[in-house]
Amino acid sequence: MPSPADLLGRLVRFIGEVLGASSLRFEIGTTIVLLGVLLVLLQLVARPISRWVTADAAGLAGVGRAMALAAESGTDAVVSLGGGGITRTTDALARLQTIASLPLLGHVARAAARSGVPLRVLVNDPIAASLAAATVDAAHEATATLERQGRTRIVIVGEGRPAIAGLAMTTRARPAAAFAFGSLREEALLHLDGLRSGAGTLTTVSADAAQAPSLRLGGGSALIGPELFQAGADLRSSVDERTMVMAGNRLIGLAVAVVAIGTVLAMAGIIDLGEILVGVARE
Amino acid sequence: MTRPTITALVVLVGLLLLADLLVVNSALQDVAGVVVDAAILVAAGAALAAGASLVTRRLGDLWRRRGDPIGALLVVAGVAAMLVAGMRPGSSGSDDPAVQWLLAALLIPIGATLFGLLFVSTVAAARRSVAGGSREAVVLVTATTITVLLLLPLAGSIGSWLSDASGWMLGTAVASVFRGLLIGIALLGAVYAARTMLGIGSADE
Repeated sequence: MPSPADLLGRLVRFIGEVLGASSLRFEIGTTIVLLGVLLVLLQLVARPISRWVTADAAGLAGVGRAMALAAESGTDAVVSLGGGGITRTTDALARLQTIASLPLLGHVARAAARSGVPLRVLVNDPIAASLAAATVDAAHEATATLERQGRTRIVIVGEGRPAIAGLAMTTRARPAAAFAFGSLREEALLHLDGLRSGAGTLTTVSADAAQAPSLRLGGGSALIGPELFQAGADLRSSVDERTMVMAGNRLIGLAVAVVAIGTVLAMAGIIDLGEILVGVARE
Repeated sequence: MTRPTITALVVLVGLLLLADLLVVNSALQDVAGVVVDAAILVAAGAALAAGASLVTRRLGDLWRRRGDPIGALLVVAGVAAMLVAGMRPGSSGSDDPAVQWLLAALLIPIGATLFGLLFVSTVAAARRSVAGGSREAVVLVTATTITVLLLLPLAGSIGSWLSDASGWMLGTAVASVFRGLLIGIALLGAVYAARTMLGIGSADE
């Protein structure tokens, strides 16, 4: 029976033979680098968290406190899933943002269910409404508060982005906490103004780059750009996960430093990246 | 349907669509087309059901005299007007002039009026943010003010210098930040989409 070291040796030899015998255009070293990049990408896809930073920028960890205040004041909380929807005729990134917002809705819904606070969820698409309803139901099931399920309302505000902004601006109810997750476009500031008016706290999370100033001016906590896709990881804070995040951050910092130094060296003419990576020297 | 079955279905469909994206194969394209068409049909059915539910609820509000009767009446009348315009005998559906008129004369002005408020809202939000002492807001409003000053239409060498400076500001400083943001969104969006299509959820979902 071969020892583990023997097996490992055979495996390394096998990979070396396969790479050596391949008809790839690249050399073995370059191929290993490319495979390493692919491995990192796969790891990014499959790893349990997608978080780069350990700061809770949007205050999502403090949702429980906002819900406790809402319970004390006897008001509700409102969550808007933005204007992207899921089956609306808009771009894929806007619809992806709605999907990425569902874990955040689940987080808020669990806190609301525990505190007995009714939720109002605003959507402008029937499929998004069904997914939001399923998410809220799952939150009640997870917190064993099914008797409070009937107090939550999923509101389909109608087709179009102006409709959801108009409703947010004209609703007379004043929620204790307001959340806007997902795609916000040119209507962003109107939407956030409407939600903010009278609400105790406002949290906005959107990956629409052009609306970053609106989120910043809208008041409250904001997660901007790619932070929407990382925000799911802000909802958990176990020691293991934080350690992984910090280790990941250091590796990313190292990679950025290598890229920066490589770029400087290439610009100074000390090394030729084209020759190293693809074996073709710069003319 | 149990949860593992749903997850398996999501993974299968996700892999199928990804494979169709990567590999040019007519059979694969046909199967992926069927899956996409089925999703579109489900979405259309859900939209119809949501519309019917809305009308039923509003009619119930009117019948039982509860809620907002004016709003309910407007919703029912609006749906009825669109249905009559688009489905009356001889109508050409969504391209019918009556449907187009309803859209152009009612919905578009409502939307335009709403967006007309943006200028006022933006100025008010900027004032409020600066008054609140938010550091990010102060930086944002200062940068905006500088950009607006650079865009002043002045003649002569000062105007030319301002024009060059605004070009540099928009093409270098603003564009580089914006592109960085877009690259980050694209990367994490791709990762998130791949995770969703492969049925990989976060631990608390």
